[in-house]
Amino acid sequence: MGSYHALRHVSIGQYIPTGSVAHRLDPRTKLVAFVLLVACTVITKSYVGSLALLGIILAAVLATRLPLGYVLRGLRPALPFIVVLSLLQLAFYNSAAVAPEAKVMVDWGPVTITTASVQAVVVALLRFLGLLFLTSLLTNTTTTGALTHGIEHLLRPLTWLGLPGHEMALIATIALRFVPILGEEGEAILMAQASRAVTPERSGAWRLIDSASRGARLVVPLFVDAYRRSEELVLAMQARCYHGGRGRTQLHTLRLARRDATALSLVLAVFIATLLSRWITVA
Amino acid sequence: MYDERGIRRVVNAGLLLAITLLLAFTRIGFIPAPTPAGNATIAHIPAIIGGLLEGPLVGLIVGLGFGFASFLQATVPMFKDPLVAVLPRLFIGVTAAYTYLGLRKATKAQLRALLGVLLALVLFAAWRVYAVPNEDGSREALVPVLIAVLGIALVGGLYVWLDRQDPRIAVVALAAAVGSLTNTVLVLGVASMRGYLSPGVALGIGITHGIPEVIVAAVIVIAVVAALRGIGQRKRSRVSQEPPELV
Repeated sequence: MGSYHALRHVSIGQYIPTGSVAHRLDPRTKLVAFVLLVACTVITKSYVGSLALLGIILAAVLATRLPLGYVLRGLRPALPFIVVLSLLQLAFYNSAAVAPEAKVMVDWGPVTITTASVQAVVVALLRFLGLLFLTSLLTNTTTTGALTHGIEHLLRPLTWLGLPGHEMALIATIALRFVPILGEEGEAILMAQASRAVTPERSGAWRLIDSASRGARLVVPLFVDAYRRSEELVLAMQARCYHGGRGRTQLHTLRLARRDATALSLVLAVFIATLLSRWITVA
Repeated sequence: MYDERGIRRVVNAGLLLAITLLLAFTRIGFIPAPTPAGNATIAHIPAIIGGLLEGPLVGLIVGLGFGFASFLQATVPMFKDPLVAVLPRLFIGVTAAYTYLGLRKATKAQLRALLGVLLALVLFAAWRVYAVPNEDGSREALVPVLIAVLGIALVGGLYVWLDRQDPRIAVVALAAAVGSLTNTVLVLGVASMRGYLSPGVALGIGITHGIPEVIVAAVIVIAVVAALRGIGQRKRSRVSQEPPELV
């Protein structure tokens, strides 16, 4: 029965309070810094650049005093995949098309390893580690409440363009609130089916239709339940005269402190350095 | 500006996003399939349903959430790249929504004509594969025949299936298939453009993965939409037809 209780405990990056500076930063600062650093990690293609970025990100993780083992925990189940994919990439990477000037290191018929394919694999691995740390840096130091609050503030300029900034933040809030509720509902559905002798065990990979109908048996009632709950919520919101984000005030207002300015200027410096390094190597 | 429909759209989008997150962050969003990657995803289905029932904008927002969840949850380097994990997912609900809106009023005859176009496209593709010679001047013989035979079988099967269905169900299935294919094609396309996969490997994953995902998506989306919109034949319980006797 243990498997039935798993659904309720969904955490999108558990918040770990250590009281570090990173925890006290404004969520807006953290979101902007996160986006900028993700952009840096994605556009860097050189060995030096990737290593330097990873170093910076690692320093930030250490500064938050998050347990490093916890942060790296997500890596363990993925390790076999990563190894196999990297080897495939190493052997069959189409270097000739991407980088014709690359030197061939090994050439066994269809398998050719070139300097370009080695670089692609190593940089992809460094990038993966960097992004893993970054995700953890954002979600482990910020509560989901603060996160949606920050997103709403950051999306505010979108409303001037006529895009639904407030609504998107509200959708995110509703979604995060309802994940555990729907999780419980899913458990209830599974238990109800089990008590009527429907086996919850996964069938083999080849019995696709069987597995699909098994998935459908859980997901379809979940959708119907979600729509029923949505009707209730709509009624409740109408009863409380919900009229969108216009003219709405908040109990807790966000304030930027000096540490936010410091953090942002550091991240901005890294971002500009990354852009410059890329521009220089291209030119 | 804020009528009941506006609120309902926001709330429904929130709940669909909640299902997406639930499917993405627990293992229930993955269905074992006989492919190299081992799983067919069903976590993109809320985005398709959002597009079908609430319109392209909700489809886009739920797709964004799916992309973000898969980015946060990624365990392979490919999906730790926002260009692969997030960007293609934006279009799942949008393409599904426009397919549905475009074909919603289609009659059975029009859907049959569409099947004819599909068959023509498949046969044309097979002919192209045959007509363009390889580098050494030889021609592929097996692959075009295979494409043609599979295509005819697929279209024939769809024709028989369509004949027995409510056309509205067929349109929902088609929209679900388009949404699911959008996911497969765009994700693998961007992944091979960014150099995570070679085009050959991407094509292989696309075929072995895309097809089961299309089937699973169509089955689940039909079930959900039929349950929520009350279309298609529904078996009613005989017990509940009799009004309860008041004592």
